[in-house]
Amino acid sequence: MTLMLIALAIFGVTYLLIITEWINKMLAAMMGGFAIVLTGIVHQKIAFAAIDWNVIFFLIGMMMVISVMRQTGVFMYLAIKLAKIAKGKPLTIMILMFLLTTFISAFLGSVTTIMILVPIVLLVASELKISPIPFIITMVIASNGGGAATMIGDPPNILIGSATEYNFLDFMINLTPPVLMITLFSTGLIWLLYQKGMHVSNENRAKLMSYNEKHLIKNKKLLIICGIVLILMLIALSLQSVLKIETATIAMTAGLFLLVISDRKKVEHILANDIDWVTIFFFMGLFMIVESLVETGFISLIAKNIMNITHGEPRTTSMVILWVSGVFSAVIDNVPFVAAMIPVIKQLGTMINNPEAMHPVWWSLALGTCLGGNGTMIGASANIVAIGIANRNGYHISFKEYTKIGAIFTLLAIIISTAYILMRYFR
Amino acid sequence: MLLSNLLDAKSILHESRILSKEQVYRLLVERICHHRKLPICGEGLVQLILQRDSQSSTAYPTGIAIPHIRMEDFHDTVIGMAFLQNPIDYEGTKVEWVCLVITDKSSSNIYLNLVAALLKLSKDAPLIRELGELRDGHAVVQRLHKMEIQIKREITLGDIMISEPITISADARLSELGAIFSSRGLTSLPVVDNNNRYLGEVNILHLLKVGVPDYLMMLDNVSFLRSYEPLEKLFEQEDTLTVREIMSRDEEYLNPDTSIPEVVFEMIQHHKRFFSVVDDSGKLVGVVTASDIFRKVIKA
Repeated sequence: MTLMLIALAIFGVTYLLIITEWINKMLAAMMGGFAIVLTGIVHQKIAFAAIDWNVIFFLIGMMMVISVMRQTGVFMYLAIKLAKIAKGKPLTIMILMFLLTTFISAFLGSVTTIMILVPIVLLVASELKISPIPFIITMVIASNGGGAATMIGDPPNILIGSATEYNFLDFMINLTPPVLMITLFSTGLIWLLYQKGMHVSNENRAKLMSYNEKHLIKNKKLLIICGIVLILMLIALSLQSVLKIETATIAMTAGLFLLVISDRKKVEHILANDIDWVTIFFFMGLFMIVESLVETGFISLIAKNIMNITHGEPRTTSMVILWVSGVFSAVIDNVPFVAAMIPVIKQLGTMINNPEAMHPVWWSLALGTCLGGNGTMIGASANIVAIGIANRNGYHISFKEYTKIGAIFTLLAIIISTAYILMRYFR
Repeated sequence: MLLSNLLDAKSILHESRILSKEQVYRLLVERICHHRKLPICGEGLVQLILQRDSQSSTAYPTGIAIPHIRMEDFHDTVIGMAFLQNPIDYEGTKVEWVCLVITDKSSSNIYLNLVAALLKLSKDAPLIRELGELRDGHAVVQRLHKMEIQIKREITLGDIMISEPITISADARLSELGAIFSSRGLTSLPVVDNNNRYLGEVNILHLLKVGVPDYLMMLDNVSFLRSYEPLEKLFEQEDTLTVREIMSRDEEYLNPDTSIPEVVFEMIQHHKRFFSVVDDSGKLVGVVTASDIFRKVIKA
C-alpha cells in the first residue's frame, strides 16, 4: 500500500510536470521513470522490460521514412497544388487543406503533418492577406481525426496497436469508417462556420496562382522509390498476421532502406535532427512510470472500480471508456493518458474474460483519446506544435479561441463515434 | 631571444628630411644590402616591399609600420629601422617608425613574435620619442639591450585586432544600420550601450531576416516562390524597427588575451568570420575578422 502511494505520488508529480511543461517533457518522464527505480518500487530490470520496444523502434523507423519522404518535396507540392486548384478561394482552400491534412496524418502521423503543412498555410494566408488562425485550428482538428483512422496515424493508436493483437488492417476496418463519417460532417461544419467573412483581392489571388510548384519535386527517382516503399510498408502492415513480422521491424526495414539509398551527406543530419530523440525518450520514461502503477496494483484497483460501475457489461464499458477518454484527452496530453489506460483495459479484459466483448472497448479507447485530443489546445501533441508555430509567427491563438472551435468539432466527433460504436457492435 | 641581439646598428637610421614611403624603403634597403648579401637586393627588393604594401597596409595605429619580405633560402632574420622626424602617411595612419623585416620563407614564428615585441614597444610613445632623438644606431641597440626585450611572447588578439571599431547602439534604427553597412562595406557590427559595454552583434543576415518570417524558414524549400512581398518591402520597416529587435545576444566573443591559434580555432569552430573583442569588464575593445587574421598574421 505504501509502495502504491509512493508510486502514485511520483506518477502524479511527473504527470503534473508533463501537463504544465514546467520542465521539458522528456526530462519529466525520464526523472519519473528513474525515480520509481531509485525508490525501489520497481526493479530496474522490470522497468526496462516495461519499455515497449515495438513502439520505440516503430517511431524511429517512421521518423526515418518521413524524413526521406520530406526531401522529395511531395507534401509541399500537394499543398500548393491544392491551393492553386482552389483558385485562391479561402473556403475552398480551407476545406481542401482539411482533407489533405486528414489524409496525410493517417499515414505519416498528426505531428509531422502539422509541421509540414502549417508553415505553408501561413505563407498562403499571408499572400492572400487573410488570417491563418481558422486554417490552423481546422488543420489541427483534421490531423487528430486523420490520425485516428489508422494504426500508425496518431501516437495513442501506435501504443494501442503495439499493446494488443490488432494489426493495421483491424484498425482500418474498425476506425476508418467512423473517421470518414466524422470528416464528412466536419467539412460541413467548416462550411457553416466559415462560409462568410473571408475576402481576397484579385491581385493577391494572382500572386498565389503564380507559384511554380513544379520546382518542388527535385528528385523524381527518390519520390518513386519512396512511394513504392510506403505502399510495400502498408501492405506488410496489413498482412502482419500472415507474415508474422512485428510493426517495428516493418517500419525499421523501410526506414533503414530509405536512409541507405538516400543522400549520404544528409544521413548524419537526419539521424541527429530528424529523428525526434526527445519524443523517443519521453515514451521510454512513460512506459517505466506506468509499470510502477501496474506493479503496485493501482491499475487493477482502477479496473476493479470500473467493473463495479459497469458490471463488466461491454456496452456500458465502451461508452464509459469513450466519453471518459474523450474528456480526459481534451484536458491532458492524450499520450500519457493512453499509456496509463492501456494496462487498465488489459486488466478489464482478464476480468471480463471474453475477447469478443473487448473489441468495442479498445476501439472506444482509440476513438476517445485520438478525437478527444481536439477538445482544447493542449489535448494532443499536434495542437501544441501548431499553436507554437502560429505563436512564433505573431498569431496568438488563445485557449478560449481554440476551445470555442475545438470543442464543437470534438463533441460532433464523439457523438458520431458513440453512434458508430453502438450501431456497429451492439445492434 | 633578445630583440637587441637581432639588430644591427648599421641598419638603423634617423631621418629628419621629408621623405616618401618609397624613399625610406630605398634607404633601408641600401643600408641592409651594403653589409649583408641577400638573395634579392637593390631596386628589386624595394619593388617587392612596395608591392607587398599595396596588398594590405603594414601600418598600425600606434605609429609603426612593419613591412615584411620573405625570401627563399635565406636562413636568417634581418631588421632595418628608420626613425622619422616627419611622419609618413600610410592611408590615414601617421607612421614615424618603420621596421623593415626580412626573413626566411619558413620562419614565421620568429616573425610573429618580433611583430608582437615591436608593436608593444610602439605603444610606449615616450620611449619611441627617446629612440628617435638618439640619432645613433648603436645607442638605439644599447638602449633596447638594457630593456631586455624578449621576443618570445606570443602575439595575442589584442595586438592585431582593430581597436576603436565602428559600433552601433541597440536603439539605432535599421535605416542607420543599413547606411553603415552600405557606406563602410561592412557586414557585421558590435552592438554597445552608451558606456561602450558590449551587448551583442548584428550582421547583414539579421537585417535580411526582417523580410523572412519564421514560417518561411520552416519550409523544406522555397523554390516555388519567384517573388516575395515581405522581402521586397523590407525597407518599409527600416524606420520602425531598432537594432535591439534583430541583434543576436548570444554570439561568441573573444578576449584580447586570446592567442592567434585560438582565434583561428574559434572562427572555424563557430563558422564565424567576425568576432567582437571584449575585455574582462565587459567593454568592447575591438573587432577582428578572418581576413585580418589571414592578411596580418598568416600571410604576413
